[in-house]
Amino acid sequence: MGQFLQFALNGLMSGAIYALIAVGLVSVFKATRVVNFAHGYLIMFGAYFYFTFAVLVPQAAWAPEWLQSWRPDWMVEMRADLPMFSPLAAVLDWMANLPRILLGLAGALICNALLGMLIERTLMRPLMGQSVFAMIMLTVGLISILSGTAQLIWTSDAAFVPALAPNTPIRFEMFGATIFLFGADLANMLIALAIFAGIVAMVRYTRSGVAIRATAEDQSTAYSMGISVPRVFSRAWVLASTTGAVAGAILATRNGVSPALGLFGFSVLAIVLMGGLDSYLGVFIAAMAVGVLEALTQWQLGGEWAGIVPYVAVLIVILIRPHGLLGSKEIERI
Amino acid sequence: MLAIENIEVNYHRAVQALRGLSLQVAEGRIVALLGTNGAGKTTTLKAASNLLPLEHGAINAGRIRFDGADIRGEAPDALVRRGLFHVREGRRIFTEMTVEENLIAASWALDGRGVKPDYDKVYGFFPPLADRRRQVAGYLSGGEQQMLAFGRAMVAEPRLILMDEPSLGLAPKVVEEIFATIRRLNSEEGVTILLVEQNAAVAFSVAHYAYVMEHGRIVMEGDVAKLRNDPDIQSFYLGLGDGGSSSFRDVKHYKRRKRWLS
Repeated sequence: MGQFLQFALNGLMSGAIYALIAVGLVSVFKATRVVNFAHGYLIMFGAYFYFTFAVLVPQAAWAPEWLQSWRPDWMVEMRADLPMFSPLAAVLDWMANLPRILLGLAGALICNALLGMLIERTLMRPLMGQSVFAMIMLTVGLISILSGTAQLIWTSDAAFVPALAPNTPIRFEMFGATIFLFGADLANMLIALAIFAGIVAMVRYTRSGVAIRATAEDQSTAYSMGISVPRVFSRAWVLASTTGAVAGAILATRNGVSPALGLFGFSVLAIVLMGGLDSYLGVFIAAMAVGVLEALTQWQLGGEWAGIVPYVAVLIVILIRPHGLLGSKEIERI
Repeated sequence: MLAIENIEVNYHRAVQALRGLSLQVAEGRIVALLGTNGAGKTTTLKAASNLLPLEHGAINAGRIRFDGADIRGEAPDALVRRGLFHVREGRRIFTEMTVEENLIAASWALDGRGVKPDYDKVYGFFPPLADRRRQVAGYLSGGEQQMLAFGRAMVAEPRLILMDEPSLGLAPKVVEEIFATIRRLNSEEGVTILLVEQNAAVAFSVAHYAYVMEHGRIVMEGDVAKLRNDPDIQSFYLGLGDGGSSSFRDVKHYKRRKRWLS
């Protein structure tokens, strides 16, 4: 039982990150009916931007020293008295990194937002009113452009970045078993869940959310309500690219930055299809289910099965419910 | 207020829908635009609200002015914020959203105009909507959906409403209520209305002036009082016939119709 809980929790933590990635796919689809095949590569760019601003910029000769490692006197004093593996020491070490983590996140958010806007403005907007299929094919082409550009700018070597939260081990008792977690993983999950919840609340309860749903349901009528449909489109892309930037930063702290991060987009695409392309709730359930299934498979069958079993489950769900768990029925399949 | 001057409209650069159509809507009036199926009434409204490009339509010649300014190249949403609201054919409410959210969607028309949306005014006009404000709009009856479509127009506080077949698919009693609202909107709120209808009798009951169009152009116009007594209008649009039917009448009928189509 303890083992089961441990793996289920691990699964929920990776599920939350899948959900954070999925939110970008669903937002773009809801507003524009475009399935963004290149979403994983937007995430990869987010990861690289985080790497640039959290690692490369602080290392530069012109950067102030506190940016690389912020150690005021009180922190050095406090640190000196602490034993080797104390949690407080880990927190202090993290605080030393805090300036560059914040710079990294800010840089990733801003640059990715600009990238999302650029893609929408130059590639998607001219195709407005044409068939959606053309736009979808364009996102497929975008994959090669984005991954090629990333390799040109940053080379394809893997690199490591500072974690978003102090990585203290957390141990606690639950149902008579000891559960062991890393602080950074838990923080990543909370960040992902908070962003997901925030976006769902925005779509459901705000005026901007009404504009997005109106555009999703009937573009030309949305226009005749005074809603600027092009602006809704560009907001959806910015939403996708900024959530993608956070997801990219999180993935980079877990797996390091490399062009392979782009591939995450495809596994999440499967999750989104399972949940229903236009349903935040369905996609959330699917992301969590796949995360937990992956962890449990790893536990019972070993790591080599973990990449297969969850997606077989996705296939079965899609065979039974072609429009996904909670997707609208009239949506065309791709 | 709205001046359409000699416009020609093509769809897909191939199908000509309007052939040199002109009409004027003066401020504070209700103007009816009558015509049979496929005459181009809806196209005329779409041209005026700049929705044509969304359906691969384009204005090739002529121009449309709203409040004196040419609308060419103006985004449809900008035109709505300038005070021209188009109530589309078939009502086109957002079926997956609640009644209130449908009204909130229309409040985008007030952006940058410094006006607060007045939802209570809509509920005052249409009490059935107030009872259902949290219900999903797709489950409303046809009449209630038409009320909601009107409600959205009221939230947007337009100066000109283009109204496309508000009587479509509604019971006669509901049609009466809807047209009473049109009259009220015009007399109490001072909203100018361009009304497209197939049901000429109902349209004449509210309109001051009317245009009749066939095959993409205007074939007749005049004050409603005058048109109502016109024999052609009586026989083709009001269904009154012209008494005494004989075999010769069919020939006359054909000739008269031919004159309209030329």
